[in-house]
Amino acid sequence: MEISAKQKITEDLLPQKFGKPGMIWVGVLLALCTLGLVAYIRQLSKGLVVTGMRDYVSWGIYISNFVFFVAISLVGSLITAVLRLSDVHWSTPLTRIAEIIAVSAITFASLIIIVDMGRPERFYNLFLHGRLQSPIIWDVIVITTYFFVSILLLYIPLMPDLAIMIKFKDKTSKGLHKVYSYLGSFWKNNPAQISISSKAINILSVTIIPVAFAIHTVTSWLFATTYRPGWDSTNFGAYFISGAFLVGAGGVIVAMYIFRKAYKLEKYITESHFDRMGKVLVLLALLYLYFNVNEFLVPAFKMKKSEEEHLLGLFTGEFAPVFWFAITTAMIIPILILIFKKGRKPLPAFIAGILVVIGSWFKRYLIVTPTLLHPFLPMDNVPEAYKHYYPTWEEWAIAIGSLAGAMLIITIFARIFPIIPIQETLDETEELEHHQQTIATPQ
Amino acid sequence: MRKHPYIAFVVIFFSLLGGQLFAQAEKNELSVSLAYYNSNNQMHYLKAQARSKINGKLQMIPGIELAFYITDETAPNLLGKSITNAKGVAVLPIPASAKDEWNKSAAQHFSAVSVANKQFETTSATVDIVKAKIQIDTLTDRNIVATLFELKDSIWAPVKEVDLKVAIKRQGGDLNVNETPTYTTDSLGMVTAEFKRENLPGDSKGNLILVAKLDESEVYGNLTAEKIVPWGIIENHPSVFDHRTLFARRGYSPLWLEMLAYSIVVIVWVVLFYLVLQIRKIKQLGA
Repeated sequence: MEISAKQKITEDLLPQKFGKPGMIWVGVLLALCTLGLVAYIRQLSKGLVVTGMRDYVSWGIYISNFVFFVAISLVGSLITAVLRLSDVHWSTPLTRIAEIIAVSAITFASLIIIVDMGRPERFYNLFLHGRLQSPIIWDVIVITTYFFVSILLLYIPLMPDLAIMIKFKDKTSKGLHKVYSYLGSFWKNNPAQISISSKAINILSVTIIPVAFAIHTVTSWLFATTYRPGWDSTNFGAYFISGAFLVGAGGVIVAMYIFRKAYKLEKYITESHFDRMGKVLVLLALLYLYFNVNEFLVPAFKMKKSEEEHLLGLFTGEFAPVFWFAITTAMIIPILILIFKKGRKPLPAFIAGILVVIGSWFKRYLIVTPTLLHPFLPMDNVPEAYKHYYPTWEEWAIAIGSLAGAMLIITIFARIFPIIPIQETLDETEELEHHQQTIATPQ
Repeated sequence: MRKHPYIAFVVIFFSLLGGQLFAQAEKNELSVSLAYYNSNNQMHYLKAQARSKINGKLQMIPGIELAFYITDETAPNLLGKSITNAKGVAVLPIPASAKDEWNKSAAQHFSAVSVANKQFETTSATVDIVKAKIQIDTLTDRNIVATLFELKDSIWAPVKEVDLKVAIKRQGGDLNVNETPTYTTDSLGMVTAEFKRENLPGDSKGNLILVAKLDESEVYGNLTAEKIVPWGIIENHPSVFDHRTLFARRGYSPLWLEMLAYSIVVIVWVVLFYLVLQIRKIKQLGA
């Protein structure tokens, strides 16, 4: 490859300063985070009574948010590990986007659990006095492990890019240069380093798949190991994993579109990427739809007395609008958009991705809350407020603030580090050119 | 009226309003029933139940304060006060302070008077009883003998021609000792019932509780007598407290779970530690 071509790719992929829209975006996210923080301080000082959670609904939108974050974080393992191990090269420009989504989501999954605690200063007791028999402890262990694996999977492939960015001292601030130097000055791109790095990435790719499956299966077990209408299911692990891959893939498509537009990366995140990710999303939406049919049709066919109220509440009752909205926006409409080639163009794919993410958030809400409002024993002699759940402004502010926080991490990461792997792109371009030359040259 | 149609409207409005106010002022009728209980010749108590027909339905009324009396409704003979629970029931053990009044006669008169409130007027119920007791004993060959006595001129005299129930006390109800639920007392006031319940689980010593009962008698009230007999099968339920189970407290998880969980954690974290060492190695190679 010519030096000028290399230079061009590198310069294209270097992190760029925020323009005006970028500054506004960061400002909005910061404002939402601040609002969330104010609401959390109110919750800390007054207690969980400021929320709409009472005796029956003790898991409201905080835990819905937690399940959503855990779900979306699984995309790291899908794009980085599954596609890498399958020797799929088209996903290379998307790996870092997927990994930073995973890291930011899993960070906020951990934080939102603390937010849900009435006495967060006692959080350490979970480690000191946790019962190994409890799925909550398994979740703590697995989330910690997944966070660490995701950080490694983000950092190791980043090392060559850090070394590249050190060379562009004039294009970065002094502070950032120091960060790059600290994190990657030792990378000399020598064969020994490349060999160790490739091996480490392969090991991580293998490791992250069972850990990712474990994290969401265990999260599903937080519900499924409890004998309650709607949660008492053997289908829950697979149901959660399929839903997680769907929302993760939807999130990646949304991020791809935004970064492509904001950083003018049309040459690197091409229409072909949207086409392929669109196909992946259709497959995952169909898979999740299949698990939903399993999850609802079979109990509805039997309509056990204890499940009846819960199921009818979802199908035709209090939660029906949210239920059908979630099913339609997270699965049906995205499938109808993306099943056609024209629907897999960047803009329609982006819209489908947004629908998947929004629908999936509400799907998590439906997994958590309606069940809590339908206990086996009737709700007698309790205040009327206990029989319904309406999140308060504090809950909404904290939930939205946490979503904004996750997006802020992704945004700041993209400002500091290249969102598309530079070295890998250079290597693959060189390989492709070499391959083309080999074909063109007669033997 | 034709000239002033609004007058008709005003008249109708105030008639309805008046009717409504009148309806609000009306109180429901409260009905109180009273019964006497002698439990195993040890505890004597009174049980009252408050009911009312509201919107055509007979309902148990909670929160009604009742004053219980012995002999007559005077302050010195007040036994105590009790408030009806969610089932409309109020119970009052006869206190030791009523001993003198209790010993005056073989027959007793009790009454319960409800305290008026916004919903109900005051009402009362009475019950008259003759003091009686049941004795329960066992014979050889697992036969049970129950005898009913009444107090007559300071002497406990047997009572004949009264139906007694002989049963085994179980959780949630009584189990007949054989196919016959009740027996009629003979001239000696006695009934004999054969125990035919073989292989019935007892407690950890194989004990069963036999019970002889007289229910809702208009003369004697409700009487019971109990006797513990070792006629059941010994039931031992070893405690699993502090055993390693999935439901035990912290530190008492099953060994297989600990082995499995710690093995997985160790394997994964050894791999991660190895990878951190690889980063260190990469660093050294570039130094």
